[in-house]
Amino acid sequence: MIVFNNVSKVYPNGTVALKNVNLKINQGEFVAIIGLSGAGKSTLIKLINKMISVTSGSIVVNQEHVEDLRGKKLRQFRRKMGIVFQSFNLINRTTVVRNVLASRVADMDIVSTLFGIYSRNDQILALEALHKVGILEKAYTRADQLSGGQQQRVALARTLAQRPSVILADEPVASLDPITANQIMKDFKRINQTENITVIANMHHVDMALKYADRVIGINKGEIVFDGPSSQVTEELLKQIYGRDITDEDIMFRDQ
Amino acid sequence: MNQEVLLMYEKRPKTFVKNLILILFFSIVIVWSTQTMKFNGLNPSGIVISKSILDALAKPNLAWLLNFGTGTSIPRLMLETVAMAFLGTILGAILAVPFAFLSARNITGKVASFLGNTVIGMIRTFPIFILGLMFIRVTGPGPLAGVLTIGISSIGMISKLYVEIIEDIDNGIILALDATGANSFQRIRYGIIPQLTPNFISTAIYRFEINVRNATILSLVGAGGIGFTLTAALAVYRWTDAAAALWGIVIVVLLIEVISNKIRSSLVSGE
Amino acid sequence: MLTSKTPTSTNEKRNVGKILIDFVKHFFERHVIQTKKTRTTTLHDGASITKPFSYAGIYLVVLLALTYYFWDLIVVTYFNVTPFELFVRRIPNFTNIVSKMISDFNLPYLPQIISPLVDTIQMAILGTFIGAILALPVAFFASQNLVKSKIVTNLIKLILSFVRTIPTLVYAAILAFAFGYGTTVGVIATAIFTFGILTKMLYEVIETLDLGAFVAVESTGATKTKAFIASIVPQIMGTFVSFTLYSFEINIRSSAILGYVGAGGIGILLDDHMTWREYGHLGVILAVLLIVVFIIENISRFIRKKMS
Repeated sequence: MIVFNNVSKVYPNGTVALKNVNLKINQGEFVAIIGLSGAGKSTLIKLINKMISVTSGSIVVNQEHVEDLRGKKLRQFRRKMGIVFQSFNLINRTTVVRNVLASRVADMDIVSTLFGIYSRNDQILALEALHKVGILEKAYTRADQLSGGQQQRVALARTLAQRPSVILADEPVASLDPITANQIMKDFKRINQTENITVIANMHHVDMALKYADRVIGINKGEIVFDGPSSQVTEELLKQIYGRDITDEDIMFRDQ
Repeated sequence: MNQEVLLMYEKRPKTFVKNLILILFFSIVIVWSTQTMKFNGLNPSGIVISKSILDALAKPNLAWLLNFGTGTSIPRLMLETVAMAFLGTILGAILAVPFAFLSARNITGKVASFLGNTVIGMIRTFPIFILGLMFIRVTGPGPLAGVLTIGISSIGMISKLYVEIIEDIDNGIILALDATGANSFQRIRYGIIPQLTPNFISTAIYRFEINVRNATILSLVGAGGIGFTLTAALAVYRWTDAAAALWGIVIVVLLIEVISNKIRSSLVSGE
Repeated sequence: MLTSKTPTSTNEKRNVGKILIDFVKHFFERHVIQTKKTRTTTLHDGASITKPFSYAGIYLVVLLALTYYFWDLIVVTYFNVTPFELFVRRIPNFTNIVSKMISDFNLPYLPQIISPLVDTIQMAILGTFIGAILALPVAFFASQNLVKSKIVTNLIKLILSFVRTIPTLVYAAILAFAFGYGTTVGVIATAIFTFGILTKMLYEVIETLDLGAFVAVESTGATKTKAFIASIVPQIMGTFVSFTLYSFEINIRSSAILGYVGAGGIGILLDDHMTWREYGHLGVILAVLLIVVFIIENISRFIRKKMS
């Protein structure tokens, strides 16, 4: 369970990214965060695993106060949080399975990390993760030889290999074409449902958010202006969230 | 589901043993190489000397270094060194052209090009300072020997790069010219030469940079330039003088590097 | 760019002169006389386009000027002192050496050069290895995207630019002078030079790396060090090995001559034989060198190809 208590974030250059945010997300929910670029979506996600720190307020994840976490405790905390990035962030000249295994090094000793010696259990775990996202057959291919969608799947598998309780996704499909994007979102949905992993995703495209997420949080200028089931989102509401009419840019499939 | 995973696991590339063998091999090679170092400790006077030289680097003989007139002038010596490299590179770049054309597979065919390449390879491996000593026998010590040495020795590397450029010619352009009715000279003039010239020039400039360093090396052997001054200064323990020579080398080489990079990048972007 | 000349193959030979004249004329018009007017072409409907100013003419002039100046500096001053016939008379000195190398080729001499040859190769291997080991960590500290402090990175790059401009032979000469003769000096000189060029090549690659993978692995809960090892190191290992082999190729060649300044290896013999005019022995050494370098280059090339 993730709780935001009156969280505000002001960047050193003065930008107010988030203002008095209050949130409660239960385990197993699929939440999409929508809003204009710069509205605060990225900030919100980054605060959850302490990539950045709050200016005021507190964040409690599974009874742990994130702002108190430091050093070893922070690292242990992060192991339970998977992140999927818009730009995949894979290790370029390495095979797919080694990319997935990279998320295991947190638990390994430094010598094994240096020489890339992974235990049988870890390797099976990685392969299973790849199987869950449907690209087991690419396990020993070099990661940069895959298509965009496949690479994102590898990234997803990498988070799965952490056995996370939460997966954070920062615009995970923004770089993908519509068909691939749908496939990846379906993967997220399936994992959310079968493994009961909380998924919190920043979505640039409104239609994708509404299609796959159960719950939608709309942010405008750092404040939450809507928080409820995706079924309740109307066009009027979207106008409020975005502060303007919805344009073609906010939608992945033009004919909707 | 588990079956597929297990199967995939069995298929994993067993690189561990391979890598281990490689590392072992290289370790052996390196340990074997240390046998060459008869390490009898660092000669203490050597350390004193090194320290003196390093200190001197901070205060080089500015009278020499900034002397643009007569007398011992580092700038003049460096100019001589650069001149050697310059003329030598031009000589080499021109002589390399026929060699390269004779050794390009798309011009002379497999056998002839193989022979040509072998000859080029032999020229390339010929130690430059032996060539230098040989030319000194003809011209006596001095920069002319350096020019000739750099000229002949450059043929090796420049030809090799020219050959790569020639073999890379895009035939499509020539076919297109054919289709418009161009004759052979027009084909060469408008089809081949524009493809070759910028790259040939870029190669020559690249080689020039390297040749400035070669010229420094040759100057140690007696072919004029700054090397002699350096060793002479060392021999009489005049550290600041030696430091001045070193600074001269560094400054000039860096300057030339910067200039040649600028020119080559403007060549590539099309002047 | 194409003229509208209609070609007639029978006139091809006659065209040579014409082509040359046309070439020079073209060059003159395009590259020398360049005012806004000559560069601008105006079409019949009024539209016009101006060609950008071409520097080729300027470069050519500078080139010719420098050539003239340097020619004067070196060649003319030489022939002012030494009469031309003396020069011509001494040319056979050169051709003599070459022919003697072949005719006096002294094969039985071969076993005697094995030991110094091995020394030379070992010097190159060890020097490259030491230089490479030192280059890797320093390259990291010199990279803008890994180390935030611009002072540190620029300072390292500055020092490197000095270290790598001095040829190995010069280092060897200085070190031999300071520490006495021997292969150790050669190893150190090679190591210093290798360090210089390898570090530069490495930080140029590191600075273009995508650090996203590092962020990703760190966010899984790994320490910065482990994240670095797992995400950055694999990306540069291949390049590192490739560059090291390239340096090794260079070092083998320079190793052969280090002996000339006293740093051990086969170089001493080369100088000896030159002095004593034992060209047959010289020829043997050169032939062996040729073969060794050839083998090493091909092995190195093979490995480098395998890695990419």
